[in-house]
Amino acid sequence: MHTIKKIAIAMLATAGVVWPGLGFSQAKPPVKVGAVLSMSGPAAVFGIPERDTLVALNKEFGGNMDGRKVDIVFCDDKTNPTEAARCVTQLINDEKVVAIIGPGTGSGILAAGPVADRLKVPLLGPAGTVAITDRGNAFFPWIFRIAPNDTAGMDALWRLIVKNGAKKVAVIYQEDAYGKFGAEFAQKLSKDLGFTIVESVGVPYTATDLTPQVTKFRNAGADAVFMQLSVTSLGATFLKAVNEVGLKVPLYANSGLAQKGFIDAAGPLGEGVRVLSIGNLPYDPTPPEQKLSAILVKNGFQPTGWGDLLASNGYYTIKAALQKINGPVTGQAMRDTIESLCNFETMTMGKACFSKDNHDGWGSDAVILTTIRDGKFRSDTK
Amino acid sequence: MFEYVFRGLLSGTVYALLALPMTLLFTTAATVDFAIGAYALLAAAVATAIAGPLGIAAGLLSAVLASGVMAILFVLLKRTKGEGIRVALASFGLSLAISSIVLIVWGTKPFARQTFTTMLEFGGLRVNPQWLINLAIAGALVGLTWLVIHRTQLGRMMRAAAVNAPGAELAAIPVIGVQCATLLAGGLLGGMAGLLLMHTSGLDFTASLGLTFIGFAAAIIFGIQSPLRCLAGGLAIGVIEALAAGYTTGMVTSMVPSLFMLIVLLSGQLGASRYSGDRP
Repeated sequence: MHTIKKIAIAMLATAGVVWPGLGFSQAKPPVKVGAVLSMSGPAAVFGIPERDTLVALNKEFGGNMDGRKVDIVFCDDKTNPTEAARCVTQLINDEKVVAIIGPGTGSGILAAGPVADRLKVPLLGPAGTVAITDRGNAFFPWIFRIAPNDTAGMDALWRLIVKNGAKKVAVIYQEDAYGKFGAEFAQKLSKDLGFTIVESVGVPYTATDLTPQVTKFRNAGADAVFMQLSVTSLGATFLKAVNEVGLKVPLYANSGLAQKGFIDAAGPLGEGVRVLSIGNLPYDPTPPEQKLSAILVKNGFQPTGWGDLLASNGYYTIKAALQKINGPVTGQAMRDTIESLCNFETMTMGKACFSKDNHDGWGSDAVILTTIRDGKFRSDTK
Repeated sequence: MFEYVFRGLLSGTVYALLALPMTLLFTTAATVDFAIGAYALLAAAVATAIAGPLGIAAGLLSAVLASGVMAILFVLLKRTKGEGIRVALASFGLSLAISSIVLIVWGTKPFARQTFTTMLEFGGLRVNPQWLINLAIAGALVGLTWLVIHRTQLGRMMRAAAVNAPGAELAAIPVIGVQCATLLAGGLLGGMAGLLLMHTSGLDFTASLGLTFIGFAAAIIFGIQSPLRCLAGGLAIGVIEALAAGYTTGMVTSMVPSLFMLIVLLSGQLGASRYSGDRP
């Protein structure tokens, strides 16, 4: 009888200890987070690693953030702005998500912005397109950028181009918002930094031969070439054309080409190309990037580059917001809290900081200059 | 000027190769297979995955197998009297499906192979020898196709199948068999174009529709009925693209070839039946 009494007392004592803990976790109801990413179409080169990283991180932390169960619901925007807006509507109305990582492209975010504004759920955009966080947008309060914007680091890259002696620079860019913006920004910088854009040529994604464009650069006497491209096969096609025409000038690229696929496709022709990069996850990772790499590998994915880093930015932004919210988690609460986040834990370079007037979470300290050597992006020392 | 024209002619040969299957199918079945670019993509993806000559063979085989799926769709649609535009639409669907399969299996990495690192030089003009191989293969295939269509019994059967299918069947021509064989030949030609592109510029999972459109443009610009016209169409588009790249700037460059095609098609002269003479 004594034994039974002792057991009963022990059970009660255990329950007394455990119950509040259980009660505590039950006090934090689960939340759903949306991820509208470009998992097919031209931007899948970024969307697939972004999806994989979110899956890996959520798996790594047991689907929990701050003691709260978090479900990530995915929707493929197919690199199509109309689909992006539809996905955002669907995830908010049907899945009741409280925040969305995505859509995957700048044009997708701009298309989905009014939806986020109407339905009061914040979008965390993994895109560099400057316009997405323009304060003039009616939906500005609901869009946060989880990537450095397209101008971040470009100033440093162009200063390097000029410092290396270039006076007459040719620009090749892909025919989309990203390409056009880079070409226009280069034109704008040329006045301040004292160089001339001798040629600026747009090319479609599917161009199969760029030797005429390179011939034009050679005939214009270009002494350096800047590539505003993100389609890796296009970057490789350009390097092949440079080799074929025999243009021997330094080559520089914006962060769009900081992808393993570019090195693989370009082969030895990529050697010596200077590329701006958002972090350097696959080749020269910083300690936090090494941690992210290990998580990806452990969960069955290969680190590919900055798509992984941007998705981790989204994940940690949401985690930081959830940690800070006391009370019900709603889209409005998430928005208000994200706006107050600064210097929170991330796995990428640079300090992450949002404010009421600044929805660009990451700045130029999140990018680094690299050089392709021995088939790898090697980081310059900062 | 000469350099631009020369380089345009070289790149135009691949466009002609993409146009050739369209001409073939139109000649035999009066419809178009818009999955040509997807066959090219699939062949390049498979050939990249398997090293050596075996990869080339496997790439071509995969393209032919994919066109076999199109042939099955074609037969099914024919049974439901849904030819013509429905076949073309089905081929669009197949093209998207193949692109998705390539994306799922091989991911987003580009398919490229650099065969030659040393360039040939002709009086200051440097050329990748691969372009000359492309030129030779495309020229040979266009010539062979023309001979088959216009100088062989098989060619007469192919043309008869398109002009008057019921009449051809009454004349004991296996119309569906000929049309399916043409679809398979289209897969082979599309696969060859993909392999040449893989060794020249490289391509990735987004390439299929772009390649199809340029092949279609090359096929129709001077009249879709003849392989020689599609060769001329491919070369013309290549030259116009190169000249536009050389003498225009910004986004105007990629508008020029489209404008050129629009003007040619609207003028109705070069593609008009009175010049084609291939079909009564």
